[in-house]
Amino acid sequence: MSGTRVGIIGVGQSAFQPRRNDANYPELVREAVNLCFADAKLGFDDIEALVYSLAPDAMVGIGNAERVGVDAVGAKNKPFLRLNTGGATGISSVAAAYYHVASGMFDVVMTAGADKVGECGDSQTVLNKIWDPTYERPLPLGTITMLAMSAVRYMDKYGMTEEDMARVVVKNRAQAALNSNAHLRKLTTIEEVMASRYVSWPIKLFDCCPQSSGGGAVILASEKYITDRNLDAVWITGVAHSTETYYLGDRMGENVVADHADSFALKGAFERAYRMAGIKDPRKTVDVAELYSPFSNTEFHAIEGAMLADLGESLGMMRNGEFQLGGRLPVNPSGGVLCTNAIAVTGMVRVIEIALQLRGDAGGHQVKNAKVGIASANGGDHQFFGTMVLEA
Amino acid sequence: LPLKNRIGIVGVTIDANSPDKLQSLEELQYQVTQQTLKDAGLKMEDIDGIVVAGNDQIDGRAITLMAASGSVGGVDRDILCTPSAAEHAFVLGTLRVATGQFRTQLIISWSPIDGSPLNEIQRLAADPYFNRALPIDEPAAHALQASVLHDRMPEIEGLAKLVIEKNKRHGKVANAKSAPGTVRAPWPLEQLTAPTRGLTALIIASSDFIAERKLKNVAWIEGIGWATEPSLIGDRDLSTLPSLQAAAKLAYKHANVKFPAKTFRVAEVSDYTPYQELLAYEGLGLCSRAEWSKKLADGTFASGGALPVNLSGGSQSSNPVFCSGLVRIAELGNQVRGAAGPHQLKDAHWGVAVASSGPAMQYNTVVVLSDGRKEAH
Repeated sequence: MSGTRVGIIGVGQSAFQPRRNDANYPELVREAVNLCFADAKLGFDDIEALVYSLAPDAMVGIGNAERVGVDAVGAKNKPFLRLNTGGATGISSVAAAYYHVASGMFDVVMTAGADKVGECGDSQTVLNKIWDPTYERPLPLGTITMLAMSAVRYMDKYGMTEEDMARVVVKNRAQAALNSNAHLRKLTTIEEVMASRYVSWPIKLFDCCPQSSGGGAVILASEKYITDRNLDAVWITGVAHSTETYYLGDRMGENVVADHADSFALKGAFERAYRMAGIKDPRKTVDVAELYSPFSNTEFHAIEGAMLADLGESLGMMRNGEFQLGGRLPVNPSGGVLCTNAIAVTGMVRVIEIALQLRGDAGGHQVKNAKVGIASANGGDHQFFGTMVLEA
Repeated sequence: LPLKNRIGIVGVTIDANSPDKLQSLEELQYQVTQQTLKDAGLKMEDIDGIVVAGNDQIDGRAITLMAASGSVGGVDRDILCTPSAAEHAFVLGTLRVATGQFRTQLIISWSPIDGSPLNEIQRLAADPYFNRALPIDEPAAHALQASVLHDRMPEIEGLAKLVIEKNKRHGKVANAKSAPGTVRAPWPLEQLTAPTRGLTALIIASSDFIAERKLKNVAWIEGIGWATEPSLIGDRDLSTLPSLQAAAKLAYKHANVKFPAKTFRVAEVSDYTPYQELLAYEGLGLCSRAEWSKKLADGTFASGGALPVNLSGGSQSSNPVFCSGLVRIAELGNQVRGAAGPHQLKDAHWGVAVASSGPAMQYNTVVVLSDGRKEAH
């Protein structure tokens, strides 16, 4: 690749909560921007261009809500555009900011956004509207029922049990308890998860992510800017997206390109990102992973899509504790999406968390000696997958 | 150009007034994609990234990229979506090719008229605390902009009529279909066309890909700039457009354009109202507002003039609302490629486009294209 080398020089994220009655939507964006400026020791005048991270507008109840965020990110008379790839938006926005710098056009670019999912009324009512109105919307589908079908297929193909799913919840809650920015930080047990009510079999309440409110921001810079100022940076060495079919029905049955039990396009996106980063064996190279998994069962997909395990193999590795903090390859040491999900920035938080890990600034959930990390995010009906490789 | 790679437009489709209402949006997206590939002489396998621009509210569904991704060839491909403006997809596609990570990008945008009532969804785009209660939609915001200009320059009403007459004449040559639209004071009804369903797509490629495939009729991206106005319309002086000037400054810096009125042979600018075309003259540095009257009277910006503006007839002749901005870039691309059809300008080898979106031109993007010939700047 001939582009400019790009590093992350500042990150900011809210302490995510179910509601933020103290801050309106643009104020929540500004909160993350201010935290990011404090981290990077920069201000508005240093930023040359902005990428705005916002998933469905309906979550904040304002059409083209990025327009009310223009002032919050200081974009007046500056280059500004918005990304929306559903749940992948946060990582797509970091990727877009990366392209701004890697193109050679800018030296310092910020991406920022926020969401108030906990205050949107009912996110599943909004998310039902992502499906085709004729064939799949009336089922009715929501992201929970959609991924419950995936869980059932995964159970059938690979032998996953509901206890396996609960094991993911217990791990991530324990890790979130060490992360002061996580939304759900209360420890739980397999018994407690199993006793929680079914939302859509086999997904129970404790298998589900929360609806979070909060913001995120990242500042990216060119290698020249970083070296000229002798700044510390985490380098983005791999960036890629890939896509599955729109219709879920096209992922079920015989002769499908992608099976709804697996994450065909996530694997494709990681293959591209690893190739760009020159990583041939991710199991040996990757030290820490933040993988978008809003429901416990999807963490198995994500681990296998990232090629940290073969298809179906992650179940046994999870039982052996390989993916927990202190394990061989910690996955979602922040507690992950299962414990915090402010949709517009959830993918961005995955990148932020990896940047903190590689800087050694992750605090209580720090992975020792982490040098190479990966992040991913999923959008739509498990359709869009964004991936990133970061290196210290 | 400071971009790492030189990039050109190699394929264009403009379907700004789709007449067949029996076709679904997905069918139209597929058709426009295939037509653009054909225009470029490429196959889908040659496309290694896609940037689409769709708007959830206009399309009447959340994450509208999802339904489109299959029909534009997105499955198993790297696809992104810029819902802020159609022209932002062109910006992001250009940046992606410039990194060297991609050699080609398909850029596509659409704007249906049967997904949602436009005025209602535009009112919901106003901030809920200050402006939504007015209520204000985009025509009303554009009208406020026109009212401020009327207040500052009483003579502008006559100039607006001249712009309208010019673009209507251009539209007849370009075979643009137009229909009277809704109106907000101070517009007369004939100054605004009704929204139409429309789609537009472009394929851009790196110079090495273009050379390798021996592609002809290339419009080279010489400069690109984009900028935004503040969040709230009440925080703006609507008689000026600093973001357009900032966008032009960035694009001209890259293209090394010092005297735009001399460099450009043709321009396509967003003109939801004639006042916006006048603001574009100023923002692009084609002439000061003191010269608007003289330049319109002497035909500088008309067909046959020194710098024809909106030979396509502009937005006033065809108004596919959300993708109108990208249509301006596509129209300029066709002019520079010599593929504009009945409204082709001879020797349109350097040109500039302004793509504007949002209330009273909140977002402004400037694109400078050439056919590769050196130009006296």
